[in-house]
Amino acid sequence: MALDASQSLPDDKLLARFAQGDRIAAEILTARLAPLVFKQAFRMLSDRSEAEDVTQESLLRLWRAAPDWDFNQAKVTTWLYRVTANLCIDRIRKEKHSCGEVLEIADAAPGMEHQLQTQARAVALQTALQKLPERQRQAMILRHLQDLSNPEISDIMEISIEAVESLIARGKRTLAGALAPQKKALGFQDEQ
Amino acid sequence: MSNKKNDSKASLDDQELKLFFDALQQEEPEIDPDFYAHLQSQAITAMPQPIHAWATPRQAGLIERIARAVKQFDSWPAGLGLTMVGAAGVIIGMNPPDTILDLTTAYFQAESLSELAGMNDDETLFWEDT
Repeated sequence: MALDASQSLPDDKLLARFAQGDRIAAEILTARLAPLVFKQAFRMLSDRSEAEDVTQESLLRLWRAAPDWDFNQAKVTTWLYRVTANLCIDRIRKEKHSCGEVLEIADAAPGMEHQLQTQARAVALQTALQKLPERQRQAMILRHLQDLSNPEISDIMEISIEAVESLIARGKRTLAGALAPQKKALGFQDEQ
Repeated sequence: MSNKKNDSKASLDDQELKLFFDALQQEEPEIDPDFYAHLQSQAITAMPQPIHAWATPRQAGLIERIARAVKQFDSWPAGLGLTMVGAAGVIIGMNPPDTILDLTTAYFQAESLSELAGMNDDETLFWEDT
């Protein structure tokens, strides 16, 4: 099937084609899924090298599962997010991650104050995320960085929606408390 | 008396927290191009073989195919003739020219098909019988 036509296919159809040896399906799936997986892994682990390892392993597991894929089960992305999250959590627990690679703030340039402020806030949040318990971290990343809904997160984490809401509420409280001392430095104005 | 100033320092509200997440989303990590190429390569390597590659039935051996062709004929002399023609074609295709010359010479020098076929004297087949 031509590349243009294949690009409009949903993930599960592409995965079926992949299982039949369709090279174009392999390329499109990698292009679609690799960035999502890497982003999730990087946010969880805050370490590029480890995020790459997890990305590679997650995708490899998907390719191996493709021939026996049950199309009545979860969406491809849901399954992949779940595998990635579990691999990240395994690494965190094994290596007792705290803060890994920190986003670097670019050197100051004239007129770049806003961009610097954005970068500083990003660094502060990434650092604070690393201090959350891993399940809270995972829920917060899936909700607020991957923009997934609570039902989708419930599927990925294999917990109830209420449990997801609880994790997110606790995560928000912890982050809000951790970041509050940096409000002024990061450009937030106190109300009078 | 409200401790509004202290309260505002103690925590962020939802809108302020959202600004942090917006900032982090803008600093999206990008995949290294070399690593991406590696992932593509891994996908191709892990991909099952195309279905047409392994769905082709295994071809029967040459002898088996000739035997099947022979069975289609009622009379064994005709079948033998077909077998000889087929075998000759295979031999010609598989052998260098010098060998073919020898075989051809042998063919025309043979007194009977049975001699060419290496059959026993008991079982004789002459040209007139074909």
